[in-house]
Amino acid sequence: MAIAFPSVEWVEEYKKQINLSEGYKKAGATWTAGAVALVTLAKPEIGLNEDFGIWLDLHQGVCREAKVVTAEEAQKAPFCITGDYARWKQVIKKELEPVKGMMQGKLKLKGDLPTIVRYVKASQELVECSTRIETKFLDE
Amino acid sequence: MLYDASLNFIFWCPTKVVFGQNTALDVVMEVENLGCKRALIVTDRDLIKNTDIPERIKKALGKLSAGIFSDVEADSGVHIVNQGAKFGKEVGADCLVSVGGGSAIDTAKGIAILLKEGGKLQDYVGFQILTRPQTPHIVIPTTAGTGSEVTYIAVIKDHEEGRKLLFGDYHILPNVAILDPRMTEGLSPRLTAATGMDAMCHAIEAMHSLQREPIADGIALHAIRLIKEFLPKAVENGKDMLARGQMLIAANIAGGAFSNAQVAVVHALAHSVGARFKVHHGLANSILLPPCLRYNADVCGEVYLDVLSALGVNIEGIQPDQAGEVAADKIIEFTMKLGLPQRLRDVGVPEEGLRECSELALSDGAIIYNPKLISESTEVLQIYQQAW
Repeated sequence: MAIAFPSVEWVEEYKKQINLSEGYKKAGATWTAGAVALVTLAKPEIGLNEDFGIWLDLHQGVCREAKVVTAEEAQKAPFCITGDYARWKQVIKKELEPVKGMMQGKLKLKGDLPTIVRYVKASQELVECSTRIETKFLDE
Repeated sequence: MLYDASLNFIFWCPTKVVFGQNTALDVVMEVENLGCKRALIVTDRDLIKNTDIPERIKKALGKLSAGIFSDVEADSGVHIVNQGAKFGKEVGADCLVSVGGGSAIDTAKGIAILLKEGGKLQDYVGFQILTRPQTPHIVIPTTAGTGSEVTYIAVIKDHEEGRKLLFGDYHILPNVAILDPRMTEGLSPRLTAATGMDAMCHAIEAMHSLQREPIADGIALHAIRLIKEFLPKAVENGKDMLARGQMLIAANIAGGAFSNAQVAVVHALAHSVGARFKVHHGLANSILLPPCLRYNADVCGEVYLDVLSALGVNIEGIQPDQAGEVAADKIIEFTMKLGLPQRLRDVGVPEEGLRECSELALSDGAIIYNPKLISESTEVLQIYQQAW
């Protein structure tokens, strides 16, 4: 059954998919740079009334915790990537490569880009994990 | 086929460009057009020590001058930006006029953020996180190479932490670029050549970048043509105002090209030898360009044929799979005529330092735009070894 994005259930499934991914385990094996937060900006017309933050506690190829946080809490992560609903949908559908999205202003990165670049394979694996979730998009 | 149906891109280059001899002295008009009343000049120590350019700009600004901040040095740091912002606040600056090369311009981009947003510069590290226009900024380049006057990137070193901070934001794009050939006439032949090759690399890298697109390609090709024709003339005779002017234009449009299409492996490798061994950025680019062209040759044949055409080479009879090799040879021929060093060993890079640089280069933002995926430091090391 499809899971709505974003939702608590989707975040739980995302954690599961990350930890099932051999590709991420390998690509993120040396990651010790801390948590990554993903913020989807509110879009009331599709029922997303508030900014939705996803906090991923990533460490050495494992997602130790995935939880829903406020946008304010998300800003405390060493890396916080923010985008509107349409952009995240493009990322999950693999229509937008996240680093390219950051460069073009489609996604906003608070944090050190070179660190992200060093782990570009890991970020691609994280996107891959999201595509494995049967996702129901709120605007469809 | 150079593009396919999936092509999608954003081309963003809103900086107003003013060109012509002595246009720098019209800076006051641009300050007024921006609705500003107190312009702080941001420049570097060498320029204020060795030329009268900053003073001339100050004089031209007249009542609108808020003073000169001249503490910028190479590899500008957070502490310098902080000092500049503090000075800017004290003198009530409401706009910035940066006069100099990449360091002065990047420092002014940092000051522009702090004057508008306050807080610590480190709070704004990242990409596209600013939400409003920053302090208005006019750039008067005194070199023809960096293209920083039309880019949305600033690199500022955090000397305490020993790392470079990267700021990428459309809101730090300068409002106006004044390209005055007179401002570059004092540049030495060596610096003219090295900075000019920086522009050449911007143009070629924009073309082989994964994010290449037709608008950037078009202006990059013209930049290559201009550099091929006018860089040798500017090196030979620094007073040749036609050559100086055309080089300023070439650097500017190459900047517009790479600010949108990005740069790739050449810059990733050049940044690393620059950071580790303080090799001048333009020189590092110039030395590394040929081996990088050879590295990408098997996937960039058509692109490199276009580059060769722009370099004035008759491409009849050159097959795409030969184009990278031929382009590399042509670049070497060109830089030898300019009198530039050809090897990393000639510019102070020890062979034992190459491995460390290879690791560093893998963290450089530019490397992800290379048309061939590079994920292992051993691949980078091979290129460095060829250049050494």
